[in-house]
Amino acid sequence: MRECEKVLDYFNHELTEKEREEFERHLASCDECREEIEELQLLTEDLPFSTEPVDPPEGMKDRVLGAVFAEKESDSQENNVVSFEERRKEETEPKEPQPKRNNQRWVMRGLAAALTLSLLGNILVLTGGDEEVANEPPAVDSTDIVNQRVQLQGEATDASAIAAMIRQNDKNLLTLQAEQLDQLQGDEVYQVWLLEGDKPYRAGTFVANENGEGAVAYSMDDLPADADWDAVAISKEPDATSETPQGDVILSSSL
Amino acid sequence: MMALATVEKGCVMSNRDLEHYQKMIDGDKESLEAIYDKYEKLLYSFVIKLSSDPSLAEEVLQEVFIKLWTHKAKYDETKGKFSSWIVTITRYTAIDIIRAKKNESVSLEEETDMPEQQGDSVEDLVEWKEKSSEVRKAIDQLSDDQQKIVHLFYFQGCSQSKIAEECDLPLGTVKGRLRLALKHLKKHISTAEGGIRDA
Ligand SMILES: [Zn+2]
Repeated sequence: MRECEKVLDYFNHELTEKEREEFERHLASCDECREEIEELQLLTEDLPFSTEPVDPPEGMKDRVLGAVFAEKESDSQENNVVSFEERRKEETEPKEPQPKRNNQRWVMRGLAAALTLSLLGNILVLTGGDEEVANEPPAVDSTDIVNQRVQLQGEATDASAIAAMIRQNDKNLLTLQAEQLDQLQGDEVYQVWLLEGDKPYRAGTFVANENGEGAVAYSMDDLPADADWDAVAISKEPDATSETPQGDVILSSSL
Repeated sequence: MMALATVEKGCVMSNRDLEHYQKMIDGDKESLEAIYDKYEKLLYSFVIKLSSDPSLAEEVLQEVFIKLWTHKAKYDETKGKFSSWIVTITRYTAIDIIRAKKNESVSLEEETDMPEQQGDSVEDLVEWKEKSSEVRKAIDQLSDDQQKIVHLFYFQGCSQSKIAEECDLPLGTVKGRLRLALKHLKKHISTAEGGIRDA
């Protein structure tokens, strides 16, 4: 696609990181595209005001401002500038690990960002029953290629999850983030499975935090490299050692 | 904030916004709160319109105000009104979060029924009050196809190829059709504004 044909997708944040950078270089030399973007901004500026009023839920102000003011304390060093068009710059720049943000902030980031190590660095990873926080500093200019991403769904649950296979620095990772999970009892864990035909392979274990959120990043290098995965699923297991699903599959998606 | 509701002119409001914004940059919590109070309902309602999902709206607002408070989003008054800026930030934050949460096909297949309205007043924000009915009327004056393309592009945040598919248009004509629809819309809105001023 010619660069000038990417105006709409640029405006709607539909470009990949790489495409966006290319397009921004193009913008520097193409008056026409710059004008078109300004024009779109201008022509759409009234549209939000067509919104029908909806009353916010009880207590929202306290919750939102509480979270906002808590943020400042852990973020005081950051001063990233985002332009008027609010490009997703802050999500592409490497960050120091910020323990205070671990619990919930990752869920709120864009999936594109969730798939980079800068975020995985903040995800609580549980392997073999030992809890550890993966705190590797993010690789600068790492090239993440999202090979596939799917949303997992289940019949009997409000829970949902998004899984993605990404290739990063020659490593294949399966990342998954889930929310609205039921709380676990005792040694129970959520186990991620990749299925080739009927054969399940363990692909990461995680627990839910008190908000019902859980996530895992699993290196797929231990799995058969030539596998043609048919499905990804999550089951609730009695502990983190199940070699095949013992509990019910709560969420799944074909691949 | 109630006093603002009696202020008639938009320019006074945006000066007040700028004042709050600048104090907020210096770390004044009350100024952020003032901005919050003024825009809460508009932004909340707007995100619901974008996502058809009230559960996302609070999260989006939180992210928006974190961006303001941590200076990740910077307002430049030479580039437009504060209100336009904050709704723009909100739209992009919503688009990015919605995309993160949902498989694209799921989000786009979802029907975007009008959310249930719980209040019919827009008393907190004069600009909203002034513009809402005229913008809605202007949208109503567009053809169905034009309404659809505007909705898919602006409120659904669809890609060009998705719009082409949904509207059964060749990819290359999407931009032209969209611009035409938006220009019509702007013309209807300006006419309506002119009408109000003349009256
Ligand atoms: Zn161009």
